[in-house]
Amino acid sequence: MPLIQSEYNGKKPEDFRLVLAFEGIADSQKIETYRKHQGYDALVQILKNKQPPSELIALVKESGLRGRGGAGFPTGMKWSFVPKDIPEKYLLCNFDEGEPGTYKDRYITEISPHMLIEGMIISAYAIGASKSYIYLRGEFYDEIHWTEIAIREAYAAGFLGENILGSGFTHHMDVYTGSGAYICGEETAMISSLEGKKGQPKLKPPFPAVSGYLGKPTVVNNVETLAVVPWIVRNGPAAYKAFGTEKSPGTKLFNLSGPINRPGCYEVPLGYPLKRLIEVEGGGLKDGKKLKAVIPGGASAPVLTAAEVESVTLDYEALAKAGSMLGSGAIIVIPEDVSMVDVLDNLMHFFKNESCGQCTPCREGTGWLGKMAHSFAKGHGTKEDLNRFLAVANNMAGKTICAFSDAAAGPALSIVQKFPQEFASRVKA
Amino acid sequence: MANSSQPVNVFSEALQAKIKALLTRFETKRSSILPVLHAIQDEKDWISDDDVEVLERDFGLSAIDVREVLTFYSMYRQSPPKPWRLEVCNSISCWLLGSKQTLDAAEKFLDDAKKAGKELPFSCREVECLGYCGRAPVAFVNKDRYLDVTPDRAVALMKEYSTKPLPTAAQRCSELRNHSTSASASSSAPTSLKNKES
Repeated sequence: MPLIQSEYNGKKPEDFRLVLAFEGIADSQKIETYRKHQGYDALVQILKNKQPPSELIALVKESGLRGRGGAGFPTGMKWSFVPKDIPEKYLLCNFDEGEPGTYKDRYITEISPHMLIEGMIISAYAIGASKSYIYLRGEFYDEIHWTEIAIREAYAAGFLGENILGSGFTHHMDVYTGSGAYICGEETAMISSLEGKKGQPKLKPPFPAVSGYLGKPTVVNNVETLAVVPWIVRNGPAAYKAFGTEKSPGTKLFNLSGPINRPGCYEVPLGYPLKRLIEVEGGGLKDGKKLKAVIPGGASAPVLTAAEVESVTLDYEALAKAGSMLGSGAIIVIPEDVSMVDVLDNLMHFFKNESCGQCTPCREGTGWLGKMAHSFAKGHGTKEDLNRFLAVANNMAGKTICAFSDAAAGPALSIVQKFPQEFASRVKA
Repeated sequence: MANSSQPVNVFSEALQAKIKALLTRFETKRSSILPVLHAIQDEKDWISDDDVEVLERDFGLSAIDVREVLTFYSMYRQSPPKPWRLEVCNSISCWLLGSKQTLDAAEKFLDDAKKAGKELPFSCREVECLGYCGRAPVAFVNKDRYLDVTPDRAVALMKEYSTKPLPTAAQRCSELRNHSTSASASSSAPTSLKNKES
């Protein structure tokens, strides 16, 4: 039975540390430390046994692992879309981590960057890619440095390069640095950026797995997704599925932020009660304040009211059913004394700034939402403006190349609709 | 600047070598544009029109392609910046923990110094999520990351950095500016702008 259903089953939080297994271990960034705790064992086994890539894809499929960047697409299935007869393929690790509230990927590389590197080499082997890139956001100066060191160490140890461990498998890895564009976290925008262009998303299909970087098959996976692959290979899909729920197996990193007593990065099984994470792990809100709302999956996720938080669990299905999404796992708490009108103003300012400008509904829509939300916050808005705001937001979803426009419209609609009384008192008649 | 037809190649030997290495590091030359611009900015603090022309003339990167990147990404500076730059995240998690107050305090500190006739080598601006939301508010001074940046902390940081020697890139930036203003004999600035400044 999945562990969360039996309420931890008497287990302690440390029993759920798959991705954060190295938390608290000294020198955990170093390859020697990683090696001492089964690090690279999975890769060595695969290469020694010349395990067929199709078996690895099947294994990850069987584990039920879903993309941890936000979309939750089944990882093994994504890998299986890659054509086998094209020799030039790429693996691209999405380390853009720009979703407000999210800081899990940087935490993974602060603790054990080699978990990511090993996961990437295994994943590259599974899809037959001889080159991979880690795309990091430009502001991650430390993280870029740690990642570069880890890649160098992996080369020196013979886990990267030509004919790795005499297996005949060759793989090269490099980092690529963005330069301040949230949209580059969208996989096709990331590919545009890696090609040296402005980070604008591309129309799908064709999907990157078929035609991605330079028109070659490219798998784009999030840091957390790739980092858990070695664990799944070592322990098997059944062990992984013992965590979480039936449709959302495994553990996930959640980031608590906002005025909470113990903000931080927590690894818990999917299906974990949101309220419990906030109160037990997070220690509740600062100064004993009452909860007003929670943004459960990063700034792009529709907001949940305190009442909705009472019963919702942290898995893809439960959050979708509650009208929001698991997203990147960024949980932002909003206390009773913060006005949702001001929250809306802040969020819409973000989307207005970060729209790439390619599609009209998004470029114009986020601009209008940003301006109108700001006028509500200033007390200049009217009831008519509020209706116009909803009309604009309603016209943004499902009309653009990528999901950014929807990501702006979702929080916009949810905030205005779930907290009408706050807007009524701030707008003129 | 506007009257000279040939851009001056003002890239150091080290920067030229770095750019050359980047040009062949990726599958296509074009992929090197983002890292090349980072490298130029690291050395010169900003990227000028001349720099773009040099990239086309000496390194074979299309000026149009370079400009596409330069103007799209917010981390590239297209005009000479202040030597020190405080950038405070004001996205939702930081904002909930008072980043607006941090920004206000920093701006007031700069403003007060200016009014007292002592302009600091600092600029301050609001930026979007910096990816460290558990320790909000988050800020950078140039490439140094700071966590839990309260208003007092921001002011203390600005005081501290103001006494430090200027970063190499900023020194080079100001040397190049002095060089170019003396070369063009200050004739390029429109008179109306000059009047406004005086």
